[in-house]
Amino acid sequence: MSMALSYTLISARSTLRNGRYLVFTVALPLVLYLMFNSLYGNDTTDNGLNVAAYLMVSMAAYGAMGATITAGARIAIERQVGWNRQLRLTALSPQGYMVAKAAIAMLVAIPAIVLVFAAGAVVGHAQMSIAQWFESGIALWLGLIPYAVLGMIIGFVATIDAAQPLTMIVYLTLSILGGLWFPVEQFPTFMQHVAKALPSYWTAEIARAPLTHSSIPLAGVLVLAAWTIGLTVVGMAAYRRSGARV
Amino acid sequence: MIERAPHATRQPVPDGAAVRLTGLRKSFGHIDAVRGVDLTIVPGEVVAFLGPNGAGKSTTIDMLLGLTKPDAGTVAVFGTDPSSAVRAGKVGAMLQAGALLPDVTVCDLVQTISVLHRHPMPAGRAMELAGVADLAKQRTNKLSGGQAQRVRYALALVSDPDLLVLDEPTVGMDVEVRRAFCTSMRQFTAQGRTVMFATHYLEEADDFADRVVVLAQGRIVADGTGAQIKSTVAGRTLSAVVPGVGPDVLGLLAGVQHVEARGPRMSMHCTDSDAAVRDLLARFPNARDIEITAGNLEDAFLELTHSTTIEGHAS
Repeated sequence: MSMALSYTLISARSTLRNGRYLVFTVALPLVLYLMFNSLYGNDTTDNGLNVAAYLMVSMAAYGAMGATITAGARIAIERQVGWNRQLRLTALSPQGYMVAKAAIAMLVAIPAIVLVFAAGAVVGHAQMSIAQWFESGIALWLGLIPYAVLGMIIGFVATIDAAQPLTMIVYLTLSILGGLWFPVEQFPTFMQHVAKALPSYWTAEIARAPLTHSSIPLAGVLVLAAWTIGLTVVGMAAYRRSGARV
Repeated sequence: MIERAPHATRQPVPDGAAVRLTGLRKSFGHIDAVRGVDLTIVPGEVVAFLGPNGAGKSTTIDMLLGLTKPDAGTVAVFGTDPSSAVRAGKVGAMLQAGALLPDVTVCDLVQTISVLHRHPMPAGRAMELAGVADLAKQRTNKLSGGQAQRVRYALALVSDPDLLVLDEPTVGMDVEVRRAFCTSMRQFTAQGRTVMFATHYLEEADDFADRVVVLAQGRIVADGTGAQIKSTVAGRTLSAVVPGVGPDVLGLLAGVQHVEARGPRMSMHCTDSDAAVRDLLARFPNARDIEITAGNLEDAFLELTHSTTIEGHAS
């Protein structure tokens, strides 16, 4: 297990050193946040949450989701350049590999959350107690679990050329339809229903709950859990279909 | 020089062999890639696996490493199944081109593999041995072909293995690098480690291996020292018109293996064409239209598959 842990840490470190990764999952959400914030940051939502904090959670979720999905989808590259054959010549077990991949996906999402939150505190004037900041950040982070699995599915089914566009399509669809770019309240009724069936809506929603001192919505936890279970089942089939080549 | 860490004291091998392949077969669809390979490699041997493309070298190596399941036959590496030997860190392998992860530094890459072994050598040491220490901060997609090959070599070394398996290691290396690489490979065996490398260069096999195993069309067709294989595989053909002399007589000349009559012209396959031509002219001064041609390696391989197997090596 310590082997899988070292592997996780080294892989995560090497991902964090990758410039392209930082641009898409940290810099872009950060810039978008600052932009949206300068436009709407001084408003207050109906339930008393300041818009600066609302946008901050949306953009942190947007960046973190991208980091998580991209990390899993990288398996497609590893499979197809033959890197997985190299890994099979080590003492890492297939189970250890899967756990490590999920852990890497979760780890590389942390910078997006931390940095967008920092921008929210420093520039955005989002005002919350220390406890609220932590609860929100941790809820957001845990809400990323389905995307770790989703990214790995892309990694197992997609070819090298398809992995990146597929990742972008899935990522943008979830972000937009889940209300990370525009608040769901501005959607037509039917689209609001769609949003509430998506994990992305709830990832942001459970992270916003601590900001209004409301408890984490149970519906959100259930939707996220259902997606995680469903995707894991699909993921195991995809893994077997990919020739079980770890 | 390579020092061994104390944990890795070589233990006696249960059945005395580093590698034992028995009746190995593998087909892909209707293509028979490996058609019955039996091979024993003793610890400390440096064995070249020589053969043209499609001879079954890579498939055999994949089965030896446990990456591919044989259709029939058994593989034992240090007396155990290949996967156990791999997990125990006894086997280091350099796979064919392509196996480098893009977008990471060489140092991260070697370290990644290093932490996945039970008794690795320090990543820095592996990079040093492979001659890539100066490339540590370089990203893998910026490497030349030869540099990438040396990084793969570092990945193979980092588990501090007893058996090193290299699939066409010198592809993409220029002559000098190839020579330095082969020297490093020899150093690695200095303390009784075993090396098996696949190549399609006869010279390379002859220069750096104690033993050359020739594979063609999925079978071992020759097994001997480099010199033995060279004389058989890389033989020359001496052809001449020798009035009034038949093939049976010419077959007795020094250095001649066998003779074919092509009209008046006699085609003599030689193991030593120099000796053959001297002997020919000494005995039959009227021989004329003499030509000596070097055999084509591919043809020689194919010919070997039809002729008898040479057994130069005690097995």
